[in-house]
Amino acid sequence: MGRRSAYWFALPAVGFLGLFLLYPFLDVLRFSTWDWSGLSEPRPIGLENYRDILQDPDFYKSLRITLVFGAMTLAPFILLSILLALALDGQPYERPVKALLFLPGLVTLGGATVAWYTLFSPEYGALASLVPVPRWDQSPFWALVLVTLFTIWRHIGYGVLVVSARLKAIPKTLLEAAAVDGASPAQTFRFITLPLLRPAITYLLVIGTVLSLQSYTAVFLLTRGGPFGGTEVLGYYLYKTGFEVGRLGYAAALTVVILLLTLFFAAAQVRLLREEK
Amino acid sequence: MRWLSHAFVGLVVFLVALPFLWMAYAAFIPPQLIFTGDIFSQLAFSLENFRVLGQEGFWDGFWGRLLFSALLTGGVTLLQLFTGFLAAYALKEGAPLLPFFLLLLAIPVELLLVPLYGLLAGLRLLDTLWALVLPFAASPFIVYLLFQGMRTVPEELLEAARLDGAGHRVLLTRILLPLLRPQLIAAGVLAFAAHWNLVLYPRIVAGGKELKTVQTWITDLQRQNPADWGPLSAAALAATLPLVIIYLLYERRIVETFEEGLKG
Repeated sequence: MGRRSAYWFALPAVGFLGLFLLYPFLDVLRFSTWDWSGLSEPRPIGLENYRDILQDPDFYKSLRITLVFGAMTLAPFILLSILLALALDGQPYERPVKALLFLPGLVTLGGATVAWYTLFSPEYGALASLVPVPRWDQSPFWALVLVTLFTIWRHIGYGVLVVSARLKAIPKTLLEAAAVDGASPAQTFRFITLPLLRPAITYLLVIGTVLSLQSYTAVFLLTRGGPFGGTEVLGYYLYKTGFEVGRLGYAAALTVVILLLTLFFAAAQVRLLREEK
Repeated sequence: MRWLSHAFVGLVVFLVALPFLWMAYAAFIPPQLIFTGDIFSQLAFSLENFRVLGQEGFWDGFWGRLLFSALLTGGVTLLQLFTGFLAAYALKEGAPLLPFFLLLLAIPVELLLVPLYGLLAGLRLLDTLWALVLPFAASPFIVYLLFQGMRTVPEELLEAARLDGAGHRVLLTRILLPLLRPQLIAAGVLAFAAHWNLVLYPRIVAGGKELKTVQTWITDLQRQNPADWGPLSAAALAATLPLVIIYLLYERRIVETFEEGLKG
């Protein structure tokens, strides 16, 4: 039996992925040149959607919110991942704690939001009956903090796993040698562990940037972009213009812009971090 | 220093677990205590919140939606494992498609709401069950995970079986399927969680009452009665518990799968 006949087994996956992933990914360019509400006949308008985006104050506002959200999420996320990975390393409770940290990422999102909402709601939340809870239903800043905390809560398990895998790859002899040479634990960390953790940190930074530029689910579930549009990140703005306002062509152009921004940021980070070395 | 580290881990564990503990606690609070606000001062236990969930009739109510979502997502998961397993076999046998799948892995599915909507509209599949199934019939991530697993199967084993006259069907079902059981389980749990947790997509392409997923049902209830936490928490708990149990059963496999993925 020729082994090439086995190639045919890839056909179902290639077919489905080609039609429902690759084709829409390319097709979004065509939609982006349309004036189209989903119900109306599409009208080709060339690059007008892109011109509009460049002059759209709401677009710049969501871009700014997205960047603030990204910075607010990523810095504590990476720091926490490193600290936790270090604190857990070699402890008897390492496995069960890692398992628990991973759980929020898998459980039912809607259910998790309900728990967060009923716990943290400033008006009738459970926590509000014990301690004062900042009015995140009125303050855009605190609303963004809430979305940030929820995002970190969901992904911290993965962050710890990434740092921890790298930590375990550092040869123990290296650390022992440093200790023998009289390095303090702080020095060992600063000059040996931290530089060797760099690939893991870079990876988290790039992946995290990509995800935070594109995320909108937490915003949809917790704040719906509010209060006063203060948590309207790019992904949510895309959803709103496309499916609530009904400007699908414009939303398609926004999709392309977000993809280009993602590409730009990821490439810039990889480049910067490489040059620093 | 050591005790500081223990305390730090303890605090993080508490904060991460807090929403789960609260969810489990709030689901069983008697409704009258919620209305009076006495939620922590007295301990009481009630199943009233779960009873309320079934009030709208079975299929339109919570339990019907939970069953619908479980069957839908379960079916999609099996489909993804099936297409992924076959594709991984083709890759293992040398099909030059790995770059294709790796390229697809980089496409952010969540951003494709608009073009997918357009495609499904063109195919007249909007508001049908197919809109929730077909776009997820295959996943590059699952193909990749299963291919990673198949790479560890020694070639001699397959060669020996082939000399004995085994065809593709025998190789796949008698040899590779049992050997890849751990990877299939881990990939299955991840695929299940990914489809189960779609929030905006089902709302957009299949918003009708008959096709409502449990996720959408809970979100709608939260929009309508944000202050009525008893039933909300009961629904959240009932929809979350199955995933928690499946995860805890296979936790070791799943975490290892991620760790292996990081090495590759």
